[in-house]
Amino acid sequence: MSWPATWITLRLRLPAVLLAAVGLVAVMAAVGALFPAVGHTIGTLDLPAGVANLLGGADYGTITGWFRSEIAVIYGPLVIGSLAITGASAATAGEEEDRILALVLAHPIGRSRLIVAKAAAISLVVLVIALAVWVGLIVGVALGGGGISLGHITALAVQLGFFGLFTGSLALALGAGTGRRSLATGVAAAVAILGWLIDSFAPLAPSVAWTKYLTPFYYYAGHDPLTGGVDVVGLVALGLLSLLLLSVAMIGFGRRDLRA
Amino acid sequence: MIVTTGLSKDYGSGRGLFGLDLEIAQGEVFGFLGPNGSGKSTTMRLLLDLIRPSSGSARVLGLDTRRDSLEIRRRVGFLPGDLALYPKLTGRVVLDYFAKLRGGIHANEREALVDRFEAELDRPVHQLSTGNRQKLGLIQAFMHRPELLILDEPIAGLDPLVQQSFHALLGEVSSEGRTVFLSSHTLSEVERVTHRVAILRRGRLVVVDSLENLRNVAVQRLEIEFGEPVDGDEFRTLPGVKDVQVVGNTVTVGFEGSADAVVRAAAAHEVRAVRPREDDLEDIFLRYYREGPE
Repeated sequence: MSWPATWITLRLRLPAVLLAAVGLVAVMAAVGALFPAVGHTIGTLDLPAGVANLLGGADYGTITGWFRSEIAVIYGPLVIGSLAITGASAATAGEEEDRILALVLAHPIGRSRLIVAKAAAISLVVLVIALAVWVGLIVGVALGGGGISLGHITALAVQLGFFGLFTGSLALALGAGTGRRSLATGVAAAVAILGWLIDSFAPLAPSVAWTKYLTPFYYYAGHDPLTGGVDVVGLVALGLLSLLLLSVAMIGFGRRDLRA
Repeated sequence: MIVTTGLSKDYGSGRGLFGLDLEIAQGEVFGFLGPNGSGKSTTMRLLLDLIRPSSGSARVLGLDTRRDSLEIRRRVGFLPGDLALYPKLTGRVVLDYFAKLRGGIHANEREALVDRFEAELDRPVHQLSTGNRQKLGLIQAFMHRPELLILDEPIAGLDPLVQQSFHALLGEVSSEGRTVFLSSHTLSEVERVTHRVAILRRGRLVVVDSLENLRNVAVQRLEIEFGEPVDGDEFRTLPGVKDVQVVGNTVTVGFEGSADAVVRAAAAHEVRAVRPREDDLEDIFLRYYREGPE
């Protein structure tokens, strides 16, 4: 671990992260404030099952369904996943492609220490966004008239944080292992989006329903934290996968040549 | 200070570095020359363990470049040829970061370098000119008083005054017994500061010697002005002659070894003037770059 490397990585990302955090809180407050006016009017949409699943059930008639469809299934993972993935790939492959990493590694810092420092910075980014989701949900739910317990709000923020850790670790492993920013960003984003699609559609076909267990999205939202609370199995799965990917990043980066 | 043994890095298609055997002594300012793609930067990256050799090995400060890489990097200052810094951060923040990666440095040393180069520390790197960015690169390479400096094209983008200041610094470093390994395309720089040079061509070492010795083995030239036009072929077949140029009544003969045969052949005609011409440094290097006496 190298605190200077963590700090510089975080510092480079701080403006975007703080802006996203403020934006998240504002959006969730607005979403909450809209619920009393339009939520009951929309009610539960009559949509094909697959599309409804994509929208977290599309139940806009309750405050839980409203926030599940608006925030938990789409906006929250989109923001945290985007920042974790772009941050991790920029901090590894991005710095390498920009030719900065060669100078950093000419200093007395081991490659594994550098990767751990970068991972710590991305974890802090994820923490800030998860906290913003937590605060935004509290504000939004209050403006929407209440109806979701603090425990369930916290559960969503925690599950989302672990989802962010997983997507960030995946991008970190790809970025550190290949030194190619576009590959790291593209593949990690594809895994996250495919996971969302598979988790939504797979349960409709019994023969492939099991594939949802292969997606990170299932371990994030499969047990609906806004009604079911924290899913320990999901957290353990996402946590262990993130640690595994961090190990892959360290080994991959330690063994290869830095790209010219 | 630096010893490489058969050091190779094969990128395929004939690119890379092949069988480099090199020894650089303590206190030496050693110039590494060669055209683009000849393997200079590859050698430097191998010494710092940024890339790993296909075969062979290298020792820096008596330490193995693979096993003891951290200790080597602690004691070495490096300036990459394609220097890049965090564009959004100021020079001060960037230098602070590099100092912290080294566990701290003497602030006085850094301030002295900032004053010497008149570096701008309070503007974001992306607002700095190439020369001002290069100054930051030099400061980070020197600020921890390394025992060995590995500098890839160090004066790129620097104005003549800063170049002069940098060359003075190299002299001080060398007089303190510290070692400098630098690559350069600027022959005047090589001539001014280095004790010995190595020339690389297509990844292979062509020659390692002092500039004085390189000059001594250079081709000599005689410019002979005759009273009438003379056929250049009379000289081309003479022993030791490398090249002959004829312009009007003047014949320029390049040759190695004794001038006796050339002078005797010239004496068969009316000779109005004979002017010796030494190869300048550029001629010497270009000859090594192009055909390379093996």
